[in-house]
Amino acid sequence: MSTTPSRISPVTGHYVTIDVEGIEYKVFYLEHGEGQPLVCQHTAGAHNHQWRDLLEDEEITSNYRVIAYDLARHGKSDPPRNTEWWKEEYKLTANHYVAFITAFCDALGLDDPIFMGSSFGGNVALQLALHHPDRFKAVIPVEGADHSPGFYLDWWQHPHANAAQVCASGVWDLMAPQSPDKDRWATWFYYSQGSESFKGDLHFYSVDHDLRDRLGDIDGEQCPVIMLTGDYDYLTTPEDGERTAKQIRGAEFVEMKDIGHFPMSENYPRFAPYLKHALRRIAELTGDR
Amino acid sequence: MATATTQGPLEQFRQLNDGDAELQAHGAYFSCSYLLDMEDHTFLVRVHRGRIEELTIDPEPLTAYDFAIRASAETWRGFCRPTPPPMCHGIWAATFRRDMRLEGNLLVLMQNLRCLTRQLELLRVTGPLG
Repeated sequence: MSTTPSRISPVTGHYVTIDVEGIEYKVFYLEHGEGQPLVCQHTAGAHNHQWRDLLEDEEITSNYRVIAYDLARHGKSDPPRNTEWWKEEYKLTANHYVAFITAFCDALGLDDPIFMGSSFGGNVALQLALHHPDRFKAVIPVEGADHSPGFYLDWWQHPHANAAQVCASGVWDLMAPQSPDKDRWATWFYYSQGSESFKGDLHFYSVDHDLRDRLGDIDGEQCPVIMLTGDYDYLTTPEDGERTAKQIRGAEFVEMKDIGHFPMSENYPRFAPYLKHALRRIAELTGDR
Repeated sequence: MATATTQGPLEQFRQLNDGDAELQAHGAYFSCSYLLDMEDHTFLVRVHRGRIEELTIDPEPLTAYDFAIRASAETWRGFCRPTPPPMCHGIWAATFRRDMRLEGNLLVLMQNLRCLTRQLELLRVTGPLG
């Protein structure tokens, strides 16, 4: 049996306390790299470990400061510190989500960051491009779409079922069968940790997020939009991504083969070339390199 | 990793299940019954504590079970391939994007979702049951 030598990762973790619409959050984030900030949002009901391999990809971190935060109520970011949050049902809205991300970027003093998110992070990337094109150099919506109904389900928190397993195994088919077992099971494990936030996140994903009549208002020339969608994603399919991109001025769409809804987490080696293509396109479109 | 044998798919499915490391590690409370409707035939699967207690092709009318998973033969052919094509690669995917239907007491399905998901993936080894 071989052994792995001890190694300390260059990725570091930090907490930052931010104010979002009068509510105080202590937010945890991981970061590594120098250069252009690249802010990464995990998927609904998950946390920033989904970006674990990107954070250690030296080809990217040599030119980009990769920052992967935990949204409040996820991972190591607690619920609000100054409200009685346990007396309310958690239902994420587009307005609050956008305000949270811009407050986080302001707190870190990020200059013109690129924003990348997957699933409900992909959808909020579109919201950011619509509402704050001046605040972001570009956005990379991964597995995003103008509208993604159907996943705001009571099963995620049914008291007669094991919510951790329902959430984790309920998203199993969102991954491609070709993705490595160890990475699919790591993703499954993250989902077993997030059942209390998953349904509330999906209120944004499947209910409050609806840009079907707003895509024409997104200026993809001021804020480039490069959309990436895996062909095994049954929620936001390649057809959904392509339809969305076609209605955004200047947007580009790439279908990723043999990968699903959690590309950065289920199979990073497969995802990386698509991500690097997107970063190259953003550099070309913004005249950086 | 399970491998195909020369046995019929029904018996092979039972043997793969009862010898599956994941199901035997996590199946202590995996007990339920369900119908697989593959269009040409139906199959009753009765599971007790992770082991297949009964596996019947075309069960009698009025046979009771907790839930049913129904789809066309074409969808099941995709589902049962070693590497299923997109949208046939699981019961959620095929229900959202193909003609699969989940019927009956879905609470029991959800209560057993972790092991059921693994059990149905054994069909990638056996192929369609009949």
